[in-house]
Amino acid sequence: MSEALVQLENLNLVLRASVHRPWSWRDVFVRTLKNPLSLWPSAGDRLPIIQDLNLEVFAGDRLALVGVNGVGKTSLCRCIAGYYRPTSGKIRIKGRVRALFDVAVGIQPELTGRENAVLLAELLFPEEKDKTQMIEQALEFSELGNFLDVPFRLYSTGMQTRLGLSMAALRASDVLILDEVFDGADLFFREKIAARMRELVRDSGAVIFVSHEPEEIKEVCNRLVVFHQGKILFDGAVEEGLRFYRGLKPLVQK
Amino acid sequence: MALVASSLVRRTPGDALSGFNATYFWRQVHAVTVANLKSRYRKTVAGFLWVVLNPVISFGVQGLVFGRFLKIGVDDYLLFLVSGLIPWIFLSQTMEMCTPVFAVSGPLMKSFSVSPLVYLSAQVLDNIINFIAAFALVLTALAIYYGYTGGPVFLVVLPFLAICWGAFGISWLLATLQVFFRDTRFLIRFVVQIGFFLTPVFYPPEFIPEAFRWFVDVNPLFYLISPFQILIHDYHGGLFWQALLKAFFVSFLINVFASWVWRRCRNLVYFYV
Repeated sequence: MSEALVQLENLNLVLRASVHRPWSWRDVFVRTLKNPLSLWPSAGDRLPIIQDLNLEVFAGDRLALVGVNGVGKTSLCRCIAGYYRPTSGKIRIKGRVRALFDVAVGIQPELTGRENAVLLAELLFPEEKDKTQMIEQALEFSELGNFLDVPFRLYSTGMQTRLGLSMAALRASDVLILDEVFDGADLFFREKIAARMRELVRDSGAVIFVSHEPEEIKEVCNRLVVFHQGKILFDGAVEEGLRFYRGLKPLVQK
Repeated sequence: MALVASSLVRRTPGDALSGFNATYFWRQVHAVTVANLKSRYRKTVAGFLWVVLNPVISFGVQGLVFGRFLKIGVDDYLLFLVSGLIPWIFLSQTMEMCTPVFAVSGPLMKSFSVSPLVYLSAQVLDNIINFIAAFALVLTALAIYYGYTGGPVFLVVLPFLAICWGAFGISWLLATLQVFFRDTRFLIRFVVQIGFFLTPVFYPPEFIPEAFRWFVDVNPLFYLISPFQILIHDYHGGLFWQALLKAFFVSFLINVFASWVWRRCRNLVYFYV
């Protein structure tokens, strides 16, 4: 068996987030009469995002992570990428993780696309010593032409996506996380970037791919995990996994 | 693809620095600072001059009002003023500019796996550059015009390091709080305005009546400014080292507290931004 690049052991992520509720002085008065202790500030509402999750991702795995909106797929990816610290449990990563979430983000809207590309290269690839060539390669790939020297704030969302994706798709990684990265690109650029992403996926050690597009998943992935309410409900082959996921409809629509 | 065994990263609830690489961090801070500076001075005629003009004009006006009009009884008043006012402007501007950093960098923080401290450090560094430029300019001009009578000028590096460290800690704390309490930014503006009068910046601490001295004793900003005042205006070796030690200690405490708050709130910061 190949080497595990990502190991999640009994992983839990719980956020104590205060949930905003509409209130009135009358409600506070009535609640205080009923229970004076309710005035004491609470520690916040408990939002369990990931619950006792165990998962191993091996070299060569192209793992599709599917689930309905809001079940915690992105939070799980952010845990693996090091954004969130787990509440309990362990994450072991072997190698470098590169995670791509929403890439249509301008770092400095006043600066030109070209200048933003230079900055993005520093943020995304700090390990690269000479970045000139890779930046030129990405700028050419983006096909933004003269717009590269126009302030980023004047770009449309599609143009921002082109620049962001062109930069983000420059280097493979030991563990590559792609979270709905194609959103925002036009049809023609989408085909072009999809081809580039396929190369990126081929050259990376393990890939975690979050998508709602079954065709994209079938094309890219060789393993599928169905994630629901913080837990893994299915882990196996892609076709079977997609059938299982479709079967969740009654559960989700309850 | 070759995998290096040393690149094994473990993340558990407590660890804060797993996978941290100081060289990469510095490269990213440098890049963001350069971009911030470029962005700010684009399409301005005076460019960087604006940054220096603000403290220089403030210094000139306050020197005139407090030194000539109100005649505050302090020898070499302009030297005293520069040693307190320019560090104060640095602290207040850093606090005001850094408080919204996490809140406004939300989309970036969520898109790219870059430490949020990169954006914060870049903003602090931006202010440090402004501070050095303004301080060097005004101090040199005063030294040429009046003559320099303070302590060894090379020692200024030490209070400078202490104030930068302290400013980073305060900014870290405020930027974290701003994510949860959006009124932090307004409160800081208000505190800075009041703090200017309650901190011995344009008057010496001896002017404060005994009954109100505790204002100074509990004011962390004064501990960061005081070594500058002793070194440049009223140099006394023993007092300077004592004040410097206090400044580093205060900076240490602020950073420990900011780091503790950050570790507790880090996940929620990502959740809310």
